[in-house]
Amino acid sequence: MINFKNVTKKFGSVSALTDVSFEIKKGEFVFITGPSGAGKSTILKLILGELAPDGGTIIVDGLDIKNLKTKDVPYFRQKIGTVFQDFKVLPERTVGENVEVALAVIGLPENEWKERINHVLKLVGLTKQINLFPSQLSGGELQRVSLARALVVNPKLLLADEPTGNLDWDTSEGVVKLFEKINEEGKTVIMATHNMDIIKKFKKRIINIVNGKIVTKD
Amino acid sequence: MNIHFRTAVGYIKRSPFQAFAATFVLTLTFFVATLVATLVYSSSKLITYFETRPQVIAFLKDDTGQTDIADLQHKLEKDTRVKEVKYVSKEEALSIYKNATSDNPLLGELVSPSIFPASLEFSVKDLSFAQAVIDQVKGEKIVDSVGFTAAIGGESSLKDVVTRLRTITMYVRIGGIAFVGILGAASFVVLLIIISMRMAVRREEVEILNLIGATPAFIRSPIIVEALFYSLFGAFLGWLISFIAILYSAPSAVTYFGEIPVLPRDTLGLFELFGIFLAVELVAGLVLAMTGSLFAISRVKKSR
Repeated sequence: MINFKNVTKKFGSVSALTDVSFEIKKGEFVFITGPSGAGKSTILKLILGELAPDGGTIIVDGLDIKNLKTKDVPYFRQKIGTVFQDFKVLPERTVGENVEVALAVIGLPENEWKERINHVLKLVGLTKQINLFPSQLSGGELQRVSLARALVVNPKLLLADEPTGNLDWDTSEGVVKLFEKINEEGKTVIMATHNMDIIKKFKKRIINIVNGKIVTKD
Repeated sequence: MNIHFRTAVGYIKRSPFQAFAATFVLTLTFFVATLVATLVYSSSKLITYFETRPQVIAFLKDDTGQTDIADLQHKLEKDTRVKEVKYVSKEEALSIYKNATSDNPLLGELVSPSIFPASLEFSVKDLSFAQAVIDQVKGEKIVDSVGFTAAIGGESSLKDVVTRLRTITMYVRIGGIAFVGILGAASFVVLLIIISMRMAVRREEVEILNLIGATPAFIRSPIIVEALFYSLFGAFLGWLISFIAILYSAPSAVTYFGEIPVLPRDTLGLFELFGIFLAVELVAGLVLAMTGSLFAISRVKKSR
């Protein structure tokens, strides 16, 4: 599914990633761990095509990221679900509308939206909150809106960048359990986190990165 | 309703004063544009009326037979530059004279039909044909002399009238176009400002949409829809107000100008004319909205 081969990324003179290589197979659940500034988010941004590598090769679902044309990037991203630490929900839209946007982006006919939205909101436990605005939700609920939006397009790959960073333990555990459930349905999940309690509790494959270099990988 | 329309309606509802400002400026622009278009149309009709009005009178020799007169009349009727050929006999000429001098009947009693020559009167379709036609008619055997009806009031004065009308029309056109141009530019700037503000407010939303795979067209669509709403609504409202104003004043204008067709006299013709104005203005509104919004979006992108 994902293949990093000798990937290097620099921001000016600062090396964010140095000679990083790993492979993630389809249907895997992988934690990318490491301290803040280690390069976890950079890896996710490279997978999403938000950043381009300075060296090496990144293959995602058979596509070489380096050869991806600018006009093809949106269509590439439509196949990937993304969950962020700061939720990135649209503040002026309701829960239902936030999820709906993702379906509009992929161009799904409107008559199919309702069924998909109801299904995914039921999955994340937000059925009752469908008409609420983000300002009326808790942190955990916001993260589940973000997750619902990522899942509604039925992505092959789910990227989560510190999804529990702003949540308490119980809520974090609930969110990661959702990721686990989604992974059990056959989707590949890559979650960047520095929350060791989560990593210990959910025994998944770990790629540990420090100062832009991989120190351990299962 | 399409998601882009819903989003655009949401933006408009959230910023009613911006929406009002944009619609007001665009309405004003198209209101003035419709009035200027009407003025240009009316002045063109006025010029055409005066240009085609001048009559040429070919005074015929006294001994001319009816067959020769009929031949020349037929020849003139076939000439594409000439219209409304009419034969005026000596008696009719006297009658015209008497009518013209009705305020002084004594003048009419002093003359007999024999002193007035018979004539062929006709108009030219365009003033520029007049001289060539006059020269040609002068060469006819049965024609004694050729006069221009304007000569009654002074031949040069008619030309002066037409020249003056042309100058006025030119000023109306240039002034109108300049005024509409200035208002159009103001509308464009207002649209630019509003759309740029909208883009700035939407920065976070645009970033999120980018991350979830929205195409640039998807991101631009609600902005363009919003600009289209302002432009098309402004164009329609401006046109409607000016149309109502013109409908209200049309009877007075028609009475004032008499037989000069400054506006179509039949209702269908008037609606057809203003239908054309509306269609042109809607297209102009469409172009204004598209260029304004795309330009604003590209400017905001560059500034990032």
